[in-house]
Amino acid sequence: MHEEKIKRLASMKKSAESGGGQERVEAQHSKGKLTARERIALLLDEGSFVELDKYITHRSDDPTLPKFYGDGAVTGFGTINGRQVFLFSFDFTVLGGSLGEMTSKKISKAMDHAMKVGCPIIGIIDSGGARIQEGVMSLDGYGEIFFHNTMASGVIPQITASIGPSAGGAVYSPAMTDFVVMVENVGQMFVTGPEVVKEVLSQEVSFEELGGARAHATKSGVAHFIANNEYDCFDKVKKLLAFIPQNNAEEPAIVETNDDPNRIDSKLINILPENPYQQYDMKEIIKSIVDNGDFFEVHELFAENIIVGFARMGGRSIGIIANQPMYLAGALDINSSNKAARFIRFCDAFNISIVTLVDTPGYLPGADQEHNGIIRHGSKLLFAYCEATVPKVTCIIGKAYGGAYIAMGSKNLRADINYAWPSAEIAVLGPEAAITIIHRRELKNAPNAVDTKKKLAKEFRDKFANPYIAAEKGIIDVVIDPMETRPMIIQALNALANKKESRPWKKHGNINL
Amino acid sequence: MQFKVGDLAEMLEGEVLRTTDNNSVVVKIGGKQHTLQLLKSGTDEFEFLLDNSFHHAKILQVGTAEVKMMIDGQPLVVKKHSKLTEVLEKASAIGGVGGGDRNLTSQIPGRVVNIAAKPGTEVKKGDVIVVLESMKMQVAVKAHKDGNLKEIKVKQGTSVARNDVLAVIE
Amino acid sequence: MSKKITSILIANRGEIALRVIRACRDLGIKSIAIYSDEDIRAVHVKRADEAYHIGPAAPAQSYLNMTKIVETAKTAGADAIHPGYGFLSENENFSEMCDKNGIIFIGPTSKAMELTGDKMKCKAVMKKAKVPTVPGSDGIVEDMQEAADIADEAGYPVLLKSAFGGGGRGIRLANDEKQLRQEFEMASAESRAAFGKAALFVEKYLERIRHIEFQLIRDSHGNSRHLFERECSIQRRHQKLIEMSPSPVVDQKTRERIGEIAVRAVDAVDYLNAGTAEFLRDPQGNFYFIEINSRLQVEHPVTELVTGLDLVKLQIGVAQGEELTFKQQDLKMNGCAIECRINAEDPFYEFAPSTGIVPNCNLPYGPGIRVDTYLYPGCNVSGYYDSLVAKLLAWGRNFDESRIRMKNALDEFMIEGINTTIPLYKTIMDDPNFIKGELSTDYLERFKILNKMREDAKEAAKKSAKAAVAAVLLQSGFVRKTEAIHQSSMTKSNWKMMRG
Repeated sequence: MHEEKIKRLASMKKSAESGGGQERVEAQHSKGKLTARERIALLLDEGSFVELDKYITHRSDDPTLPKFYGDGAVTGFGTINGRQVFLFSFDFTVLGGSLGEMTSKKISKAMDHAMKVGCPIIGIIDSGGARIQEGVMSLDGYGEIFFHNTMASGVIPQITASIGPSAGGAVYSPAMTDFVVMVENVGQMFVTGPEVVKEVLSQEVSFEELGGARAHATKSGVAHFIANNEYDCFDKVKKLLAFIPQNNAEEPAIVETNDDPNRIDSKLINILPENPYQQYDMKEIIKSIVDNGDFFEVHELFAENIIVGFARMGGRSIGIIANQPMYLAGALDINSSNKAARFIRFCDAFNISIVTLVDTPGYLPGADQEHNGIIRHGSKLLFAYCEATVPKVTCIIGKAYGGAYIAMGSKNLRADINYAWPSAEIAVLGPEAAITIIHRRELKNAPNAVDTKKKLAKEFRDKFANPYIAAEKGIIDVVIDPMETRPMIIQALNALANKKESRPWKKHGNINL
Repeated sequence: MQFKVGDLAEMLEGEVLRTTDNNSVVVKIGGKQHTLQLLKSGTDEFEFLLDNSFHHAKILQVGTAEVKMMIDGQPLVVKKHSKLTEVLEKASAIGGVGGGDRNLTSQIPGRVVNIAAKPGTEVKKGDVIVVLESMKMQVAVKAHKDGNLKEIKVKQGTSVARNDVLAVIE
Repeated sequence: MSKKITSILIANRGEIALRVIRACRDLGIKSIAIYSDEDIRAVHVKRADEAYHIGPAAPAQSYLNMTKIVETAKTAGADAIHPGYGFLSENENFSEMCDKNGIIFIGPTSKAMELTGDKMKCKAVMKKAKVPTVPGSDGIVEDMQEAADIADEAGYPVLLKSAFGGGGRGIRLANDEKQLRQEFEMASAESRAAFGKAALFVEKYLERIRHIEFQLIRDSHGNSRHLFERECSIQRRHQKLIEMSPSPVVDQKTRERIGEIAVRAVDAVDYLNAGTAEFLRDPQGNFYFIEINSRLQVEHPVTELVTGLDLVKLQIGVAQGEELTFKQQDLKMNGCAIECRINAEDPFYEFAPSTGIVPNCNLPYGPGIRVDTYLYPGCNVSGYYDSLVAKLLAWGRNFDESRIRMKNALDEFMIEGINTTIPLYKTIMDDPNFIKGELSTDYLERFKILNKMREDAKEAAKKSAKAAVAAVLLQSGFVRKTEAIHQSSMTKSNWKMMRG
């Protein structure tokens, strides 16, 4: 008798695990996409997956809506490189991965568990969107998930892997998560699809152009990473997890490294060109100072004038923010302010120390920037730095002019340790601009304006564009030898490891969103 | 799980059946059962007896799709999930060109000594785009496909590592 | 000049620096090493009696920086400088600078170097001394048209060589005039880059040739000895891969005959110290002189193994003005030696250079095995210098014994962290053509050795397949256990203690 029951369990299991049926699975494969369970097998450690709510079915009484076990998503828990995670993976083979009332319930349940346990929640999106037949219950379902995303935000890391479509309101859930990885040519996200766009605006645009991985990674900044394929997607998720802690009460694990924390690099100063107006690649400096040159860049293709990403220094996981002189000369603008501000807030929420490298000539001028609100967006960066209570170490490499100097982790935004290279130029304005204002009369009356301008600019540069004036005022703590950048930053991070800083109690600030 | 070892064509099935005490594991590889006795282990290095022969494995790199290792002193790459790989390979075939395909990457670590092509021009597969220097050898990096050379991401003197993106061809 | 040398500065790095340091130690001579930023932790720095920093990584600013090196020698009080091979070993300006500063240069005189370095002048001298040479240009060809004309006369295919090259660098092949013009351009640039000058000469490309060279030593009293031949036919892009002594096609009579010609060659240029006369041998058995390498060569250990001599010590002796104590007839060839040059290149991927840290390595040893290398666990293989990381040598009483010993040593040789050409040599040791002695400079292409190597790799993969899969299964299971343990012990999780 018991045998029969065991047999029944086996057949139920088989039935549930076949998702929408053999045909649908083959259709999924023929599109070059893996099924929900196959993806989970790739992401999690072998044999660690425990599926929950396998037999959930929808409660709709719509006779045209067939019932499938799982109801369009596979949820549960497991480990990734030994670390506990909860996850949900939409099952496109079941009713197109659409979200119904019960789908939402089981996803919310997984998120609840993750919150209780204090571990990351990972969502694999491959969904046709709201289940029309379930009407307002499916919209409700989304609302429920959005609420959970919001509650979890800043408590546990939330990562989204977009390996399929996600349209309409559904995209807001990924947008609220901390990091989004999109697989090129497979992941798609848009609020209104191409057909509606065509109908309403007569604009012809393909799925990929409108909301594909590249569009979101380069233009909108919705995607933080582009993956070449599903394997790469999971590799990136795993790599990302290695840098961040399980929850907001913990710090990221320290990974012992063979890279000597006292390693000096005599090549560093030579990365800067002789001519201060010439471009150089800030990433070379970053790669030199971090452990094993291993820099995991976030938002690589978005707002390229600022670089953000994770790395380790002395085994300690850190978030790096740095201007990139190769793009827009490293000037700050709307997108870069947003990109850096969000990254800082993630690091602050999850106890990840922040290292800032500065070389910026200021904010990007122009009516475009002004009218699109550089004032509002720029203020976010200042707000984020001030708000953050994790250890903050800043090093000024080159130019640091005006408001951009302030915005990039300056002393008064409560950065803890501020270093500067001898090549640092800290001033209200760049020399050229400054002297046109200060020496306006002299220049007007000068016989050879061009030469005089050059001479005055050089004088200005020699006098003001050096870090010692700021060091005299204590705004720069130490002027360091560039080749010692790595040991100096690591020593600062070690000293600040136990930092405790508080902010006045408030429900939350009013950052200019 | 299906594995593909090195360049061998056939896939090998492998799974763990159960662990016994005294550090032994019973596994099924290629349809046959074997006993694995773990002699020494670190996070990425193992010494074990597979049935009666001694083996030493050093895991160099673990990815979702493959594991790079040194087995008994020889380097070997083991690909996992081979059946799934077949499915995924369709994706790049369908989408026309997968994302990774736009990128011209470096196969070697080195320094850029010459930029041989101009961004914005049309290039053909095999055209020399960038010349790298390493270990006193000059290596020409050639375009992997026909297309428009959209961008060259490096300049003279840049140091590159293996798999770094050198240029983008669309 | 008869001066006792008490200290030597080794103007080189890597395995040859270590080799010279060993000879110094044997003789009780103080060894002084120099190192660039890149070589701070190199083994030759560790082993030398004193070590001096010489500059940044780039060779031009360090190991090629003549002024700095001579300065350092003076500061360190070095009696002599040993230049090793490559770098400044064949630079007559450097040799002169040493002379001017009262430092003994362990090698030939700058005059001899100048002569041997100028392939054309040297060829002329050889012709006069009745040493047979290769058809081609009689002098430097600076004009592309002239090159084309000479090539026409000598007959294609032709080689374009840098007049100041050597060691296989700066050599290009042209099969027809169109290619000649292309290659002329590039060869000029490469030659300029490597040696500062861009003079080229044209030489007929002999096919199916064997590269056979004779080791020579000549002291300051005019005594010349040849130390037998080495066959170095197995090459890739004119870089030697395997050298061996004796050559399968050189019998005692030929050895004596060509040895005598080689001696004539070094006498003709009034050579001093150790050097090598390189010959090409065509399938008919004719030998053509191509050049004298005026330095100690990479493959010198091959000769050391079959003669029992220590060439570096001989060099030092000659530099001190000592007279050679042995007569030509005293020398006997003993057994057979093979050397494989282990390079940090990936033979499965077009020999792409491979750099980085070597976390661990296992050097082979046993009867008849010698390894000259700078590797040690944790060392750095740099992209600034050439790709030779180790020389593996096997000696045996006969060819077969040395071949099998080499094969087993290759199996034992384990280098982690970089790709090496070890798999290529394993395939060659078992190749029937190699065993038969069927060698020529196109050996690799002729017998499709690279394809064989891939097949062998597949076989090896097959043998290791089960163990490899077992390792992967172990790894995933194991990681879970250790990471989880590590995680739970690491943070006394604050999570539970959190309020709210």
